[in-house]
Amino acid sequence: MHIPDGFLSLLISAVLWLVTVAFLVVAFWRANRTLDERRIPLMATLTAMFFAAQMMNYPIIGGTTAHLLGGPILAITLGPFPALIAMTIILTIQALFFGDGGILTFGANVFNMGILGTFIPFAVFALFQKPKPKRERILVGAFLGAFLGDVAAAIAAGLELGFSSTFPYGPVIAVLAMGLHHSVIGIVEGFATVMILLVLYEVRPDLLPVLAAAPLASGPSSTAEKELL
Amino acid sequence: MNMNDRLKLIIGGLVVAFVFVGVGVFALGFANETVDAIERLFGASEWETWFPPLPGYALPGFEGNAVASFLVALGFTGLVLVVTLGTMRLLTRRPKGQGKPSADDHPLSS
Repeated sequence: MHIPDGFLSLLISAVLWLVTVAFLVVAFWRANRTLDERRIPLMATLTAMFFAAQMMNYPIIGGTTAHLLGGPILAITLGPFPALIAMTIILTIQALFFGDGGILTFGANVFNMGILGTFIPFAVFALFQKPKPKRERILVGAFLGAFLGDVAAAIAAGLELGFSSTFPYGPVIAVLAMGLHHSVIGIVEGFATVMILLVLYEVRPDLLPVLAAAPLASGPSSTAEKELL
Repeated sequence: MNMNDRLKLIIGGLVVAFVFVGVGVFALGFANETVDAIERLFGASEWETWFPPLPGYALPGFEGNAVASFLVALGFTGLVLVVTLGTMRLLTRRPKGQGKPSADDHPLSS
């Protein structure tokens, strides 16, 4: 989903740079004021893991490939603003060192994968936790959040491509192409997000505030949970 | 979380990342993303605005060498970890007396 330079018109690139910078300013401000430094090792570890996970390309439709984005699980475990910072670090290193995504289109890439790809999964997940988190709500919320986040990011990328004068076929074709392919990616991302949540719950439930508050099983099943209790 | 737990977490994460990099480079390295397909099908073309030092995750002179790509990927996974740790440590540095936020800074904490 990394858009290279030359695919978007300069106006769209500039607008998305501005939107992204605004979100990042708020994210850094919030991190400075509210992020607990005890969560930093988790944040750094997950960021490195998803940088590595993005190197695994699996086949989808018509000979194309896809990879996990990681935004949903980052948002659920860290909150959306730290997740945005984590995704921005990944995208910065990919663009600067590997040419994966452009410099002019960097704002668009952060907007799609860092903002939409984290805030939508988090909002959907949070919606499912009301009035009280339960096992089914946690898992369904995580899956749907990841799916919708990936699809929304792809549709946004399609709209950006479609409305750019550099792309001759208009937004409908671009949105269809991006949305169709990335709905497959969304399903895989959804399953991966649920699986990672289940693994984290088993080994370190203390790292997941919502899971620690609402155990997935009826009794304490892991050593870490027993220690907590 | 004490220092021992933090180290365990980071080492565990790096082991998983090591596996991801290995699978990514040696088994699932071929990439043909939707944007690449659009580029070919619809005639869009990239602009050369930036010349990255390691284009396509390959070490110059060692293109197609999976071991070199693996080492590059591992090194940069470590770099991502260090950059994130450093950036967040700087961001969360607070003046004395201001105090720390509670552990429940996550929006969904109960």
